[in-house]
Amino acid sequence: MPRFRFDDDDVVVIVGSGAGGGTLANELCQKGQKVVVLESGRNHTPDDFINDEWRSFKQLAWLDKRTTSGSFRIAEDFPSLPAWTCKTVGGTTVHWAGCCPRLMEHEFKAPTYYGDLDGVNALDWPISLGEVEPYYDRAEAKLGCTGTNGIPQLPASNNYKVFANGAQRVGYKRFHTGRYASSPVPYKDRPATIQDGFNFQGVKNRSKWSTLTVELPEAEATGKLDLRAEAHVIRIEHDEQGLATGVTYVDGDGLEQFQRARLVAVAGNAIETPRLLLNSASSTFPDGLANSSGQVGKNYMRHLTASVYAIFDKPVHMYRGETMAGHIEDEAPNDPSRGFVGGYYMQLLALGVPFMAAFMDPGAWGRDFTSALEGYENMAGMWLVGEDMPQETNRVTLNRDELDEHGQPVPNVHYDDHPNDVAMREHAWAAGEALYEAVGAVRTIRTPPYPATHNLGTTRMSERPEDGVVNGFGQCHDVPNLFVSDASQFTTGAAANPTLTIVALAIRQAEFIAEGLRSSSIPTGRASWDGRDPGGAAPAPEQAAVGTGAA
Amino acid sequence: MSHQLSDDSRETALAAARTMFPHDGLPDEAYAKVVGELEAGAAGDPSVAAGIEQGIAQLDDPQRFVELDDDARLEALRRCEGSPFFDLLKATAVVELYDNPLVWKAFGYEGSSVHLGGYIKRGFDDLDWLPDPPIALDPTAGSHHR
Repeated sequence: MPRFRFDDDDVVVIVGSGAGGGTLANELCQKGQKVVVLESGRNHTPDDFINDEWRSFKQLAWLDKRTTSGSFRIAEDFPSLPAWTCKTVGGTTVHWAGCCPRLMEHEFKAPTYYGDLDGVNALDWPISLGEVEPYYDRAEAKLGCTGTNGIPQLPASNNYKVFANGAQRVGYKRFHTGRYASSPVPYKDRPATIQDGFNFQGVKNRSKWSTLTVELPEAEATGKLDLRAEAHVIRIEHDEQGLATGVTYVDGDGLEQFQRARLVAVAGNAIETPRLLLNSASSTFPDGLANSSGQVGKNYMRHLTASVYAIFDKPVHMYRGETMAGHIEDEAPNDPSRGFVGGYYMQLLALGVPFMAAFMDPGAWGRDFTSALEGYENMAGMWLVGEDMPQETNRVTLNRDELDEHGQPVPNVHYDDHPNDVAMREHAWAAGEALYEAVGAVRTIRTPPYPATHNLGTTRMSERPEDGVVNGFGQCHDVPNLFVSDASQFTTGAAANPTLTIVALAIRQAEFIAEGLRSSSIPTGRASWDGRDPGGAAPAPEQAAVGTGAA
Repeated sequence: MSHQLSDDSRETALAAARTMFPHDGLPDEAYAKVVGELEAGAAGDPSVAAGIEQGIAQLDDPQRFVELDDDARLEALRRCEGSPFFDLLKATAVVELYDNPLVWKAFGYEGSSVHLGGYIKRGFDDLDWLPDPPIALDPTAGSHHR
């Protein structure tokens, strides 16, 4: 792998190696662009992954200090863990299960279809489904989604048999084993699934798409990728014109380094991305970089999320097989007659005993709780994932009372459920219970939201610069050579699991960036190579100059 | 190194963990793991150790916890609900008790599977008390987004 020089002003720097960053890196490398990917986490291989929930969690999860506030139950149950995302090369694609629904047409136009709701700060996306569709096609081919590109559906697991029979009995029509990025047959260089049941723990046999196992190796093969693990970016630097010049990061030895960049793309997820922009405040941008709209960090969404588990009088063994290979679409359309706008999917879900104990009813104790766990062998489960409403007061801010190991303020995540979210969750819980009761459940359990893996909306796309942070290509309105490449750009949350859309947008963004750099329609910061921000802190040249030369 | 509780204190802590998360079929060994973790957590932190000793003393006052019947144990535990010791015991137990292959086996969870080739030939689809449902979208159902 090449090592580009710290003063190389021809590289694109990408912060983060997950679905957005890893995909963008590969797409740009394929077009001949030199790319430096800076990833906070370590470089694990699938051989390192562990079929054990707590040990895997400690290996892969993002456990840097965070704080929470607001009335959501997470602030009480898991006050320092608002999100379940990953700190490892590959980001949260290492943890994701593989569900790949597309957004629906109306979900790009929430205010148009949902009307004005009190407390909701929604916008129409500046792009339509039609504009994204060709990129969805390419994303599905890249991810190898079952049910597309000639790839067969996954077979019915035990958990799916309960789920789908229940769906039939309550009259649902649109259910299947999912568009899913792990296949029953080999796809490209990936083997078929062995149904090991540890999707969330990385998938040791590499059958699941991740940037770790697909995008980054493809990028590396071009000779254009310089991937640096354990490189935690603490600040984006800019010149006197307000253009990005590069980033300052702390390397694995704890040293601050400055990497010059022609263009910077941030893909740290919807908590770390706004945190980095806010922590990059300078005299030119006192409210944070790219924040003239004041929307950086606001409109944080985490999806509806809830679960229903059900206990039967016969064995299910829900943990065997692909964890989330089941999908019901019938509750996804926008049908305000249900008492809320937007919709939700019902998806298969299983946890092992350790995480069932931790997440089924956090804080509970006593025989009611333990008797449910004793029903584990006969238990089936589903996840309820729906559109939560963007609210300006749900936001990621800097908590200046708490500093991380690099001396940077940690992010605080504030979240209150909107009444629409509460109504949707109640409906979804009841619908899930009805489904399981239709196939003979002897007990059903309503499980509250988990720490969020779907983190969305904190640097949202907007047509007008005053309404949001980035345009329809993820390009910052204020800083044209700074991009956002993760789900922070989502204008509204939609009901769909976000990875497929993140990947589709990254493919589309890569075309825009490559053309913009070729034609010079995207300007480049002109700072001296050490990138000192005339108005803000910058690394000392002697710290920045210790790098190796180009390989 | 871990902080050593007295035998009596260890006995009280184990009984309290069992009262909190009662599983009649599980041996004391499963709950002893919780107590071991409490002792490990107290090592090197005298304030944690003191908090544990104090919490146990409260459970043993006025009568030793282990001498109480089940209802009285529950009552004694409820009296200290919300105390730092109660919260520590609960947080420790809910992880340690269920992070144990002995407990998994009792509940019918098989743990690591990849070294056995996953479940593709070991029962991922062996449920036979329901009919096999369709796995693909019914083309007549009119999916709204594909």
